[in-house]
Amino acid sequence: MGKESKTIWDRLEDIPREVLYGILIVTFIMPMLFPIGFPVPITPEVQKWYDTIDKLPNGSVIMIDFGYSGGGEPELGPMAVAVYHQIFKRVGIKVVAMSTSNEGTLLFDKVIAELNPSQYGKQYGVDYIHIGYIAGTESAMAAVGKSIRATTTTDYKGTPLDQYPIMKGVNEAADFDLLICYTTGGDQSEGWVRQWYTTYKTPYLCCVLAMMVPTMLPYQKAGQIVSLVSGAQAGQMELLVKVPARGIKSADVITMTHLLCIALVVVGNVAYFGKKFSGGKK
Amino acid sequence: MFVTGRIFALGMLVAIWIFILGGMELAKRTLPTFRKLAGLDALPEMVGRAAETGRPVHFTTGLGELHTNMASQLIAGLSVLSYVSELCAKDGVRIIYTVYQSQVMPLATELMKAAYTSAGKPEEFDADDQVRYMSGEQFAYASAVQGLAERERPAANIMIGPFYAESMLFAETFYRIGSIQLAGTARGYQIPFFAVVCDYLLIAEEIYAAGAYLSKDPILSGSIRGQDVGKLLALVMMIVGIILTALGSSALINLLKM
Amino acid sequence: MSMLFKRNIPIVLVFVTALLFIMEYFVTIPGIDFKSAATTVNNWGIILTAFTLGFGAVNLFIFHGRHISRRTKGQWPFSLWMLIVIVLFTVVGVSTGATSGQYTWLYNSSYFALSATVYSSLGFYMTSGIYRALRAKNIESGLLLLVGIIALAKNAPAVAAGIPIIVPWEAWISAVPTTSAQRGIMIGAALGALALGIRTMIGRETGFLGKLTETEKGG
Repeated sequence: MGKESKTIWDRLEDIPREVLYGILIVTFIMPMLFPIGFPVPITPEVQKWYDTIDKLPNGSVIMIDFGYSGGGEPELGPMAVAVYHQIFKRVGIKVVAMSTSNEGTLLFDKVIAELNPSQYGKQYGVDYIHIGYIAGTESAMAAVGKSIRATTTTDYKGTPLDQYPIMKGVNEAADFDLLICYTTGGDQSEGWVRQWYTTYKTPYLCCVLAMMVPTMLPYQKAGQIVSLVSGAQAGQMELLVKVPARGIKSADVITMTHLLCIALVVVGNVAYFGKKFSGGKK
Repeated sequence: MFVTGRIFALGMLVAIWIFILGGMELAKRTLPTFRKLAGLDALPEMVGRAAETGRPVHFTTGLGELHTNMASQLIAGLSVLSYVSELCAKDGVRIIYTVYQSQVMPLATELMKAAYTSAGKPEEFDADDQVRYMSGEQFAYASAVQGLAERERPAANIMIGPFYAESMLFAETFYRIGSIQLAGTARGYQIPFFAVVCDYLLIAEEIYAAGAYLSKDPILSGSIRGQDVGKLLALVMMIVGIILTALGSSALINLLKM
Repeated sequence: MSMLFKRNIPIVLVFVTALLFIMEYFVTIPGIDFKSAATTVNNWGIILTAFTLGFGAVNLFIFHGRHISRRTKGQWPFSLWMLIVIVLFTVVGVSTGATSGQYTWLYNSSYFALSATVYSSLGFYMTSGIYRALRAKNIESGLLLLVGIIALAKNAPAVAAGIPIIVPWEAWISAVPTTSAQRGIMIGAALGALALGIRTMIGRETGFLGKLTETEKGG
């Protein structure tokens, strides 16, 4: 019995995985090597994020949770860096960071190394600090909200908190004017809503992976999150703070890969209907 | 006495418990019927396919931990593991349970051993081979499971519990090797990925109902009825809330804030 | 006696622990510190987890040791390498500390880089998944296809700039059907967890206790 020959519709409907992945790799790499410079419009949610920080009065204190893992760093790291740029360009805004992810302190170091705070005259312990990884996710959030010093007495380097000028008068959720969370896990993003927003009404900016945005939307629509963005929108933030970096470089890649996905979906459907109407086997 | 801002929530909790306990009592007299859950009905077929092909069944409860708020999903997954283990034991199919959180290992070992004993084949259970601790780190676990899929080529893959980003990695890898797949999670972030790739899907509360559905226990089934009454109550409150808000009243909102 | 240890004692423990956490969240009684008790129980759970890590490590050594001793084709070199890496991390971590420069370097240059790589591989799997799944085979899948294309187009910055109309379309899709579906899933999941919780507390959900007979279940 001879092998049935494949029609063009069969081939297009079932493109081998190797070919798909090969095209995808080229689509990833080319815009990184040869930037195209596609336009990047600023979306309302990123603008709102930027404006929320911009409107903070001098002397405000921000809590940032580095709640993401190393796997999420390529997407969330650029956003974290861009936001620190915006904060450090301001005068008198203090930033206290913590981590609900056990890789958070390493990721904080990575962000700071990329950011170079000294260019803004910012000093560790005076303008920014990291109080370390605190286990327990929601119980950590609740504990820190009640009392930082009852939860941890040192920063992530092991130095007592009271030795740092930034921690003067900063001990509980009521001392913070804004909460920012970067996370790859819904436990953190939802946990802060329950533990800080619900209890203390702290304004909350949330940055998650793009695939998590639909699930976090109910919180944003209910007003529990001021602005919900994905790490993929870091390029827009970089444009707003006027410090182009990894985020804006990825914008071309994001556009190209999304276009590729659309093209593949169209090809698959054209093949499906072509086969159907030419009387082929389904 | 009661924490301010949580009184209404406590009232709702008590009300739902009353519905659930009431449903259980009512079930002693009239057995409730459920709509079909195709995924759970397909479990014998999945195990049968594994028996025919001589390939194992893979089971995972995702990144479940017993001391976090994901514990309920993990327990739901373990209920299904117990059932599937017994099916596999009866059909002579090797079931491999990959473990993310080491604290689950003694529990799973005990469950599976009991399932094999119940099937009359306790000697066929090999804990070292069939209950495999892979890693406590997300992507190390994901890579290990993908490696297992490529080497052991299970005929069926069952994933019930809390899953994170590795859901798509698992689903696509097992799809590629030709496994029939059942997935269930209450983590809304991952449901779309499972829906797109897996053959059968349990959405959100269906995983919690799995234990009741599979055991056909009237008491457990009655609790599902009670749960559905709770959903009805939520629906009524939503409609009342919409009407009141449209009329300019914030009575329900104030009640919810109590 | 067997039923006492196999069923009754575990259920009482579960009931008391669950009640403690519920009381801690909803109730304040002067003179009773639920918070400390709940934190202590939580800490016990974390300590138990740390002990069971050893159990997991033993399992790894037994399983992979078997492959090494049997020289399982295509498997044993990887098993050997894995055990070497476990020992290396343990020795470095214990001798220099988990926050030391050496341990951090080891972690960053291996696990950190690898986990980002594995995470990135999701992009490939999603692409093949989308290509295969978004086919208009019936009305529902046609709708899924349409919504998928709108979402893909809106999330491509240049496409959103070039075809501005898709932005409010996608915003409506996110704000109305997606959000309401997610809310429904959340409510359903929460009720399901509540039902599982009460069943577990009163001893009707015995899946975690192992296989029990009808008598042992109390039915």
